[in-house]
Amino acid sequence: MDADLTSAASIAREVRAGRATARSVVAERLADIASRNPAFNAFTAVLGDQALADAAALDATIAVGADPGPLAGVPFAAKNLFDIEGLTTIAGSKILRDAPPANRDATVVARLKAAGAILVGVLNMDEFAYGFATENAHYGATRNPHDPARIAGGSSGGSAAAVAAGLVPLAIGSDTNGSIRVPAALCGVFGLKPTYGRLSRAGVFPFVDSFDHVGPFARCVDDLAAAFAAMDGPDPADPVCQTPGPVSDDAGRSLRVGVLDGWFRTGATDEALAAVDAVAAAFPGAAPAALPGAEAARSAAFCITAAEGAALHRRRLAERPFDFDFATRDRLLAGLFLPAEAVMAARRVRRAFQAEARALFERFDLLLAPATPCAAPRIGEATVVINGQDIPVRANLGLYTQPISFIGLPALVVPVAGAAGLPLGVQLIAPPWREDRLFAAARALEAAGFGAVQLPR
Amino acid sequence: MTADPADIAALSAAGFALVEVPIPPACLPGVVANLAILARHAAIARAAPVDPRVEAAEVFRP
Repeated sequence: MDADLTSAASIAREVRAGRATARSVVAERLADIASRNPAFNAFTAVLGDQALADAAALDATIAVGADPGPLAGVPFAAKNLFDIEGLTTIAGSKILRDAPPANRDATVVARLKAAGAILVGVLNMDEFAYGFATENAHYGATRNPHDPARIAGGSSGGSAAAVAAGLVPLAIGSDTNGSIRVPAALCGVFGLKPTYGRLSRAGVFPFVDSFDHVGPFARCVDDLAAAFAAMDGPDPADPVCQTPGPVSDDAGRSLRVGVLDGWFRTGATDEALAAVDAVAAAFPGAAPAALPGAEAARSAAFCITAAEGAALHRRRLAERPFDFDFATRDRLLAGLFLPAEAVMAARRVRRAFQAEARALFERFDLLLAPATPCAAPRIGEATVVINGQDIPVRANLGLYTQPISFIGLPALVVPVAGAAGLPLGVQLIAPPWREDRLFAAARALEAAGFGAVQLPR
Repeated sequence: MTADPADIAALSAAGFALVEVPIPPACLPGVVANLAILARHAAIARAAPVDPRVEAAEVFRP
């Protein structure tokens, strides 16, 4: 194979044209995963035989002249909370190891496969998706490809690390409070958390039904958009999945870009804010934008997360408390004691904050905010120093992502190289259902020189 | 407010009975630490200037 087969787009182009076989592409990826994954611990299972069989079947489809799909032969991997037919969905836990295997693929996995993509394995995550670090007590920490001494972020840390390391061009993950956006930023790749209800969560192990989203990771915008397009569409199996209505056409006009201030510029390192400013500079006329209530929104998201997560795991907490990662368990146990009144108050904050965001989108088309307050902390590090203060790592990596997912806004992380060589990320945030605007803005940034952060040589 | 250990023990027992999940003693320090964090967040959310008539609907649409 002479062509550069590092992107999903190039792989699909070559496979569709018959200049490469899906089997050869997948075999090469499997060999690379076997060789390099131990350094990152991104995968918890590699599905080699099945992937090679699926690839051979796709090649046979092409041989008889049938359309193999827009992602023909593209290897991808899924966070291990997506149902994969024949595989037990462990959701980063020890407790679910003995559960029966899934009897069908999650909707978005099935749609990627139907588009021609080949599933090569499943990926590490924080236990039950409750964390921002992917320091998993049962399966080990996923290591950041930019510095293996540092975390990959979480909870979809395996997804971000696998894409950043070049093990796969595409991966999928879930985002409840920032679990796509935080690891995408810390690993220097693109990540999309779509509008709440846009992509089906059917067959995805839940965490907080009110906030759970799924979405893709990629090293370029075209690949991210192609994965999103393949997964998009209504699904009656997920009660919150909706078909969006028509949207206005942005063609021919400049976007009004707001740079979120207040909460979104408090508590971050200088380089995290510099990353936002660098992105803002690519949009002439970008102006400061106030979104009141962000701190309360983040706290309310914290409360609803604790309550819904605890409710989901109540029986497991009672029956098998010592089979949890202790950090996950103690957070969930605490959530059992949260009074209903506090949850109701948090839901009212959600309504009010949604109204604030809607008003802001009357004046702006697109908002910018940091994805994380800092670059990737070291594995095992409990606190990081930001502006001279010791800040707890696990609690604060989602400072700027939680308010956005709280009200279901679509957000796309654009990676930016930090001054110290470690990646950072900037959230592009759009009104509900405007993923098209996020892709257009991200493509403009890519054309201006932004892109996946290169690994150190 | 009460500082009587008997009252506190009774209140704790009632709380545990309500959630119906026994908290293993080894977990108590971690649970208490997380409750303190939750209490802080709940206080921030309660203090938000939100009209109490705002609907707290269970089904949310963006």
